Amino acid sequence: MVFSSLLFLFRFLPIVLLLYFLSPRPARNFILLAVSLVFYAWGEPVYVVLMIVSIISTYLGGRAVHYFKEQDRAGAAKISLIVTVGFGLFLLGFFKYTDFLLRTVNQVTGLNITLLNLALPIGISFYTFQTISYVIDVYRGAARVQKNIISYGAYVTMFPQLIAGPIVQYKTIDKQLRHRQETAEQFAEGVNRFMVGLGKKVLLANNAGVLWDTVNAMNVSALPALTAWLGIAAYTFQIYFDFSAYSDMAIGLGKMFGFHFLENFQYPYLSRNVTEFWRRWHISLGTWFREYVYIPLGGNRKGTAMLIRNTMIVWLLTGIWHGADWNFLIWGVYYGILLLVEKLFLSRYLEKLPGWAQHVYCMFVVMLGWYIFVYDQIGGGLGYLAAMFGGAGFLNRETVYLLYNNGVLLLLLIVGSTTLPARLANGLLEKLKERDWCCILLRSVFYVGVFLLSVAYLVDASYNPFLYFRF
Amino acid sequence: MNKRQSWNIVTLFLLLIFGLTAAAVLKPDKSFSENENRALASMPKLSLDSLLSGEFATDYETYLTDQFIFRDGWIGMKTTAERLTFRQEANDIYFAADDYLIEKHTGAFETEQAQTNITYLAAFMEKMSETYDSAHLTAMVVPNAVDILRDKLPPFASPYDEETYLDQIKAALPQGVWFDTSGVLEQHKEEEIYYRTDHHWKTLAAFYVFADWIQEKGLGTASLADYQITAVSDSFRGTVASKVGIETKPDTLEIFEPVNPVSYLLTYNQSDDVRSTVYQRQVLDSKDQYSIYYGGNYGLVEASTEAGTGRRLLIIKDSYAHCFTPFTYQLFDQVDMLDLRYFSQSLSEFMEQKDYTDILFLYNASGFAEDTSLARLNT
Repeated sequence: MVFSSLLFLFRFLPIVLLLYFLSPRPARNFILLAVSLVFYAWGEPVYVVLMIVSIISTYLGGRAVHYFKEQDRAGAAKISLIVTVGFGLFLLGFFKYTDFLLRTVNQVTGLNITLLNLALPIGISFYTFQTISYVIDVYRGAARVQKNIISYGAYVTMFPQLIAGPIVQYKTIDKQLRHRQETAEQFAEGVNRFMVGLGKKVLLANNAGVLWDTVNAMNVSALPALTAWLGIAAYTFQIYFDFSAYSDMAIGLGKMFGFHFLENFQYPYLSRNVTEFWRRWHISLGTWFREYVYIPLGGNRKGTAMLIRNTMIVWLLTGIWHGADWNFLIWGVYYGILLLVEKLFLSRYLEKLPGWAQHVYCMFVVMLGWYIFVYDQIGGGLGYLAAMFGGAGFLNRETVYLLYNNGVLLLLLIVGSTTLPARLANGLLEKLKERDWCCILLRSVFYVGVFLLSVAYLVDASYNPFLYFRF
Repeated sequence: MNKRQSWNIVTLFLLLIFGLTAAAVLKPDKSFSENENRALASMPKLSLDSLLSGEFATDYETYLTDQFIFRDGWIGMKTTAERLTFRQEANDIYFAADDYLIEKHTGAFETEQAQTNITYLAAFMEKMSETYDSAHLTAMVVPNAVDILRDKLPPFASPYDEETYLDQIKAALPQGVWFDTSGVLEQHKEEEIYYRTDHHWKTLAAFYVFADWIQEKGLGTASLADYQITAVSDSFRGTVASKVGIETKPDTLEIFEPVNPVSYLLTYNQSDDVRSTVYQRQVLDSKDQYSIYYGGNYGLVEASTEAGTGRRLLIIKDSYAHCFTPFTYQLFDQVDMLDLRYFSQSLSEFMEQKDYTDILFLYNASGFAEDTSLARLNT
């Protein structure tokens, strides 16, 4: 189930709100677990079993690690950790990467091994990373062990963040799982965040997606450069507004139920270089790789050679995390190399450039990155890249038509990628903060407007994709 | 946000969510959307199989969307929003000049189906040309409004050029079989030859093509003066208007009745459903007013007329033919209108029982490209 659907808004959410807030506090984690399982099972009725196996195994793993640590049996604790994490990675690998490996083996050797043709369980990459972080943190003493399997299950399955992140580390919500206070203030902030997210997804991301699909469906041999760049720009906006909207809605829903998830996006398209971009984009994934892969490998503390090795390992993994295919792998390597190049020498020169030139550099490489990322969906393949660099002229009638039809949308997307809307809104609300009714009225108009318009787009649902089914 | 503001926002949110939920749940289901002229999804049946396969989940969401309260209002709201951002199109429909809504037919002509359909038609015409010479065998595929009325499209709009596709069909057919309708329609493009709100051509367009066709095939001549033109409705909002969902200027629906009519009798689907007129005026009370012609789509509508010419015509058609066919009743003793989408018998066996002197294949371009029943031409 996805948030941006009539099913979620007008069936699931009202029922969950009723069940949750009418239940006594001790039962609320159980309610969360139960409704989250329904949320997941709605789209994945069979794979919900896999998720339950994952929950039980890591729950037991965490208990075992904790038990052996209490007993001062470091070796046994380590073995428990390795077995638990290994099993989690095995499940992820089996369901996500087996066919990719088999296809590669077939291609290289000319063999004809039958593929498994398994559908990828939605969200498996997200929840596997959460469960692994939990067990490792228990081992490291960074997280308390969770002895209540209901609470632990609620953490793993919690529907706001289940299928598209953010990747919530157990230690950040341990306290809230044990004791949390839902308040009207938090709930209202949650509403604000959810509405912002809903509007970003349904009104901005989906429309950007329509533009991208329109361009992508064109014949690349006659595609002018400006149209090709418009297409990639549209995808650039689609993936940001879509992905960050899911995080907004997750954070908002979390707040309604008394949880605080960490921010996952910080205006990534304001970045001046790739290093900065990755500090602002999908923060929970970057943090995860840094804490559980990069630093344990030694990070940058052991010289340049190790820095290069560790960075490339992390970015190969980051790439392949996004999907089992070559383009994701190449995309990861692309960023690994860019980050190293920036770190080792380029940033010195970049810093001397004027700010706008740094932005242009950053957006240029990021957009090329998205080309690689979305490569397997591009009908025109490499021809599209040729078109971007002027293979078929600069513009044509269609370009002009697309530009003026999408002018307002593009403006909204550009402004929406900056801090301007938030600054304006906060400034206005700050000025009016003594006048409650003005604030209430302003907010109400905004929320009702966004909500009703989003519902209108959902009812006339010609286009409402879920982009993360390969993660 | 302070406490007071917070409580107000929370209340507003709950009202929105629960209010709309309650309204949507209480609204009785409808089985048919007059406005969209299509059946709406009904509550899917729950079974262990459908639940485990995910089929129930998908069907349920379709059901929810189809049956959602104020459905037409939401669609209109979306279109209005798109118009406000200077969009020149919504749901693949151009907001064209002079209140025209023109379907774009994106992608319709670039599918495998579109190519396969050409080969089906070519094979059929190849076989027919063994029996019929080109004076008695015609294939016409009529271009859509987006092609003929391209001057009315928004600035810089560049939809697929239907003529490219029509040329492909022409090239695949035996010599002399293809009948070009684009030329005559182009000549009259300043007149109202397509509905502004519907995907069909107007009867006037059908008349011009008819006159051109009989002249070329040596069947005679026709003049507008031979017809009494009556406006039977000025409230026609067709299928294209439904897709955008906003108020638009309705169309006028006109019928052309010969000043010197021949009488005829229509037999529907070889049953005892026999009617004495093409015009089913009762449909004017409903949304689907184009059905005034014959009452809609039927597998077979056989007309026996008192034209007394000794010629018998088979029209293999889609609904573009509905306003065309009545013109032919003056010229043929028998005019059978066959719709492959609703006709399940073998076509060759059916034709063997009949003794047609003339064959006319009449479709509209996008309809032809997208049709999935043309394989039946060669059954």
